[in-house]
Amino acid sequence: MAPSAATPVVPTRIQITEQMDIVRARAEAKRLVGLIGLGPSDQTRLATAVSELARNILQYAGKGQCEISNISTPAELGVRIVFEDSGPGIPDVACAMRDGYSTSGGLGAGLPGTQRLMDRFEIDSRPGRTRVSIALIRRRL
Amino acid sequence: MPSNRLAPIRTLLSRDRETVAEEWASDVLRAWERNYPNMISQDETRHQMGRLLAEIATLFADHDGDTPPKIPADSPLPGLAGEISASRAKLGFRPTDTAHFVIALKNVLTRHLVRMVEGSQLDLVVCLAAVDDVLDRLALMTFDAYVEARERVIAQQSLSLVELSSPVVRLWDQVILLPLVGIIDTVRARQFTERLLEAISRYEALVTIIDVTGVPVFDTGVAKHIMKAIEAAQLLGTRIVMTGLSPEGAQTLTKLNVGFGEVTSRASLRAGVAEALRMIGRRIVAIGG
Repeated sequence: MAPSAATPVVPTRIQITEQMDIVRARAEAKRLVGLIGLGPSDQTRLATAVSELARNILQYAGKGQCEISNISTPAELGVRIVFEDSGPGIPDVACAMRDGYSTSGGLGAGLPGTQRLMDRFEIDSRPGRTRVSIALIRRRL
Repeated sequence: MPSNRLAPIRTLLSRDRETVAEEWASDVLRAWERNYPNMISQDETRHQMGRLLAEIATLFADHDGDTPPKIPADSPLPGLAGEISASRAKLGFRPTDTAHFVIALKNVLTRHLVRMVEGSQLDLVVCLAAVDDVLDRLALMTFDAYVEARERVIAQQSLSLVELSSPVVRLWDQVILLPLVGIIDTVRARQFTERLLEAISRYEALVTIIDVTGVPVFDTGVAKHIMKAIEAAQLLGTRIVMTGLSPEGAQTLTKLNVGFGEVTSRASLRAGVAEALRMIGRRIVAIGG
């Protein structure tokens, strides 16, 4: 099945500089998941993941951006979101991916939890540049 | 010999000030009345515009030379212009409609000057440049004032939204309800926690229902804020019933490894109320049933 005319192919880029941008980013992600035909459970999953990662950007880097793309193929439905910031970076990525680790008094469940919520999760962090890429992939029925 | 190319402006603003004021006011009021019927007081607007025009006249009267006059720091002009545009902003005028009043004055003055200046083209150009310069700066000031006033309105609105959004409701003797709605950030978390704790001690609440039906996304940040509130509430001796978590929300929380261990949870507020009443040894029965 070819993507319908209503399904966007151009990625949406959202700057993240304040609380309201988190709301915008997750609303946009949720909208796209719904638009390609996935249900409320997947919409909530992605919205939550976006909320986690966007909040991390605000909290640790101050500002950054995310890019939401439709990566559906004839075989699969998918949404990918790439988060980028130029903050201090994550000192120990392996540690940060463990449950219960937090440098800020949080629950320490954000990154590992997000990884469990998503089908693809890539993280690359060094001082001055952190990039987290997540994707939700479902086989077409 | 001092040059006097700006003299026509001075003449226009003193001798013909009433004509200019009248043309300006009728132009502005016509546009405003059309877009915002019955929202403005004509007399007040005329009065404000009259004061503004008088100050512009003073500015040109005190000025020598061909260059456009600078607006001095102690001039009442920015204040007057700001006052007019801030009061429009509060009434909900669009920025273009608010800026219109300065631009309209420019049009009136230009029209008169084109008729009045009979000397060289250069004299006219110098006059028009001076009018443009002063009124453009005035327009920028009105724009600043407009934005400032609107930001104040928005700040007030979000403040009242914070106030409104989490009332603590007394449901029955020793049973209270905290319905959470909307974004839960650090500020709002602190505010609803304070209210909740205060209400628990005031009503000696044995059971507190926290309803999260209106929380759009339950991520670890939101969970942390709610957990902290629950911990503090339990220290005051109340039991917690959480209600309204959606099936998707529950699934997501499990993936995130966030558990509300000690907390009783019910899917709906209805079930939560029944549970809370059971906890204090009450139930709802049909009359005569």
